Amino acid sequence: MGTSNLVFAFILTLGAGFFALNVQRLVGYMQIGKSDDRSDHPLVRLKNVLTIGIGQTKIFRDPVAGAMHATIFWGFMVLTAGTVEILIQGVFSKFSYALLLPKLVYQLYAMSQDGFAALVIAAIAFAFYRRLVLHPKRLEGDKLEHTDALIILGMIGGLMVTLLLTNACQYLLDPSAIGPEKFVSRQLAGLIAPLDPAPTRLFTVFWWSHALLILTFLNYLPYSKHLHVATSLINVYLSNTSGPGQKGVMRPMDLEADVDHFGAADVEDLTWKNLLDGYSCTECGRCTAACPANLTGKLLSPRKIVINSRQRLMEKAPVALGDHMEFMHPALVHGEGDDAGATTLTEVLEHRLLDTYITEEELWACTSCRACVQECPVSIDQLDIINEMRRNLVLTESRFPEEIQPAFESLERNGSPWAFNPGDRALWAEGLEINTMAELMERGERPDILFWVGCMGSFDDRAKKIAVAFARILKACNVNFAILGQEEHCHGDPARRMGNEYLYQMLAKDTIGTLDRYEVKTIVTSCPHCFHQMGNEFPQLGGNYEVIHHSTYIERLLQENLVPLQSDHGQRLTVAYHDSCYLGRYNDVYDAPRETLKRSLPVINLVEPPRTKDRGLCCGAGGGRMFMEERVGKRINVERTEELLATGAETIAVACPFCMTMISDGVKAVQSDVPVLDIAEVVAGQLA
Amino acid sequence: MKIAVCIKRTPDSESRFRIAASSTAIDETGLKFDIDDFASYAVEVALQLNEKQGPGEVVVYAVGPDAVQETLRKAMSMGVDRAVQLKTDSVPYDGLAVAKALAAELAGGGYDLVLFGKHAFDTSSGVVGTATAELLGIACVTAATKLDIANGKGTARRELEGAAETVEFSLPAAVTIDEGIARPRYPSLKGIMAAKKKPLETKPAQLGDVRITVKALQLPPDRPAGRIIGEGAAAVPELIRLLQTEAKVL
Repeated sequence: MGTSNLVFAFILTLGAGFFALNVQRLVGYMQIGKSDDRSDHPLVRLKNVLTIGIGQTKIFRDPVAGAMHATIFWGFMVLTAGTVEILIQGVFSKFSYALLLPKLVYQLYAMSQDGFAALVIAAIAFAFYRRLVLHPKRLEGDKLEHTDALIILGMIGGLMVTLLLTNACQYLLDPSAIGPEKFVSRQLAGLIAPLDPAPTRLFTVFWWSHALLILTFLNYLPYSKHLHVATSLINVYLSNTSGPGQKGVMRPMDLEADVDHFGAADVEDLTWKNLLDGYSCTECGRCTAACPANLTGKLLSPRKIVINSRQRLMEKAPVALGDHMEFMHPALVHGEGDDAGATTLTEVLEHRLLDTYITEEELWACTSCRACVQECPVSIDQLDIINEMRRNLVLTESRFPEEIQPAFESLERNGSPWAFNPGDRALWAEGLEINTMAELMERGERPDILFWVGCMGSFDDRAKKIAVAFARILKACNVNFAILGQEEHCHGDPARRMGNEYLYQMLAKDTIGTLDRYEVKTIVTSCPHCFHQMGNEFPQLGGNYEVIHHSTYIERLLQENLVPLQSDHGQRLTVAYHDSCYLGRYNDVYDAPRETLKRSLPVINLVEPPRTKDRGLCCGAGGGRMFMEERVGKRINVERTEELLATGAETIAVACPFCMTMISDGVKAVQSDVPVLDIAEVVAGQLA
Repeated sequence: MKIAVCIKRTPDSESRFRIAASSTAIDETGLKFDIDDFASYAVEVALQLNEKQGPGEVVVYAVGPDAVQETLRKAMSMGVDRAVQLKTDSVPYDGLAVAKALAAELAGGGYDLVLFGKHAFDTSSGVVGTATAELLGIACVTAATKLDIANGKGTARRELEGAAETVEFSLPAAVTIDEGIARPRYPSLKGIMAAKKKPLETKPAQLGDVRITVKALQLPPDRPAGRIIGEGAAAVPELIRLLQTEAKVL
């Protein structure tokens, strides 16, 4: 072992040690968050790592940037093996994988190192071009973010170039050391040879540059958004956004807990997993680019929510953990929005995530459409943070847009978000001879399904027609069904989405009581919000039912040829179907409504807007936005309606009463006369 | 400052009312009850005054059976410090009888201000506030749409037909509160939890003689169905004729 080996061993120890210290610090910061058990379903989690992580499936949702990133990512995976070899060689010069591996395997390995280094250089060149010339909107950040990005790209590029140059010099010095499988290095050697046929000096320079760059890069990570290199795969493993468990289910909440506040107002109120999300965000902006609120000019940016959480963590955690000066030197330099600029301990303590970093206005702009969560390549859950912060606003601080107070009060008094008389709930069904559960119970009968009408279907004039249409289909198919009639009231989902967990649990528990009293097993509903809530979130409160959305139910009836349809198919109609978020992104129901349309209208020309299925744009009504005014920017429903009309559709089909209201209003706003129909109405219109 | 707010429990005004078999009361089955709207404005005004004036006490009073305890808790969940139920089997229609019970209780309370709703949605009598003030021998301002207390004096704004007046009054005083003065706050879960632990005292109500009772209740007659006279300009002469001769509004 020579002097240089000893020097390198010293530097290596220093570099690795410093990195380890930073890891320890960042892991320590996460512990100020609340607990959250993510040890379940290791196989599902592993599958997510293999597909979303290693397979880069979400990255490829943007094909061009996807190919670029995947090249760098896979290159990194492969080249890390080489990096380890180089670091060992720094200490033990004679070391080589060739000593351990069979010849063929080693040759393949050697070829992969050279090949990927070249590919990564090409991808980095494109990344520079994209950042400096193309300027995609979603990458718009502040100066710090931009500088950070360029430093990272420069370092990765530098790593690749020095790697190849080191090999090239080595080849010139000892042709037997670099076999023909390192084809790029050998080519490069041809360029160096005329300058210096025996480049001993150059070899040393390039080798040391490469080795030192590796250690610099490693230690730059904890101070950069590029930390995601270290945390993403772990984050994907620990995330629940693509399962295990049902997607989009809000966190259960113990209202009896003896706590001084509910929900999240600061980083300590978030879970360690929310905080890990912050470490994993590399600010690619895919979430914000898909956000309907952001697209239409609202203040909300899901990316900012995550970055702010990280920013505040860097400020607060050192103080909370007793290191009172460290907040002055934030570990992750980059934030978003106005810098809170804390310079004293008092300021750090006066700040909090809510208000200082994330405003009420941002939180209330969210439609809970889940587009941000769907897009995130590293499975960050932006919506979880928003939901927890809304809970704090309502349950602890009673702060919310004044328009939603009547909705809360009406839910409490009238059992629906609107001030309709609960006694009028079943008026829509008058004259249709529909049994109520109570009537059947009295006769000692039991229906096969309960038709859960929902508040829209019960009270909204437009949505009542959907309820009637669906009831007509059920009758035509001789389905034995019943409604709850006046015994139905809201299950509380709108309250839950607006942060009012207390009101939600009151209504939900009461609903579960009613359903259990009638021993209900199967529920069919025409509202995706009811469908999601009762099917996926009721189990948290002990309500377990098979809940089917009417699109799926009608599709089944059509499949079994139980629906008596007209034989005259009429004219070929161009129809655009608008995906409901709670049906689509929350529950992966994309095909049933489309199949229903195709089966009931055999000559249909079904067209899709560019944003469709899991990329579908929200109508603007989710997350309680239905009950709030939309004062800032363009109206989301108009934006969506324009997209749908641009397909040339003669009819717009929906499968959600909230979408119905929003898209109908949108059609009116752009002065179009294209009809908006629920899929049940389309089918009912074709009944023989 | 010490403020008392007298509240009433009334059914939600959006309800569809039926008359009970006795024909002297409404059928209460299926009705949702809450703090009367005007009384809830009074609670909000009291809380805001208390927040502005610095540490003081806000106490709510209600006359009635145990069902009013829920209403009193609601007020406490909004932020009221404590509550007193003046227990009766039912709330008498005679406002003066209620006022006597309230006055007997409030007399020794040392309140600077006693607030009421302008009237309650169910009876619309507007007697209790003014009668209580008279029995306590304190100043009374009715239907205030703005209320300020400064330097031991109160000022209130009152909306009149086509004008508004601002009045000044000495304390202690009783003020009945009109709508538009403040939006009642929505209780937070924190407030609801805290209200469960706040003191709610129950005492027998010393009601005065009940000299007024309801003899009969009637629902308004059903509105006759609308009529479509015709369409477009051709229908206008007939419409005008009917508005003149039948509806007599032109």
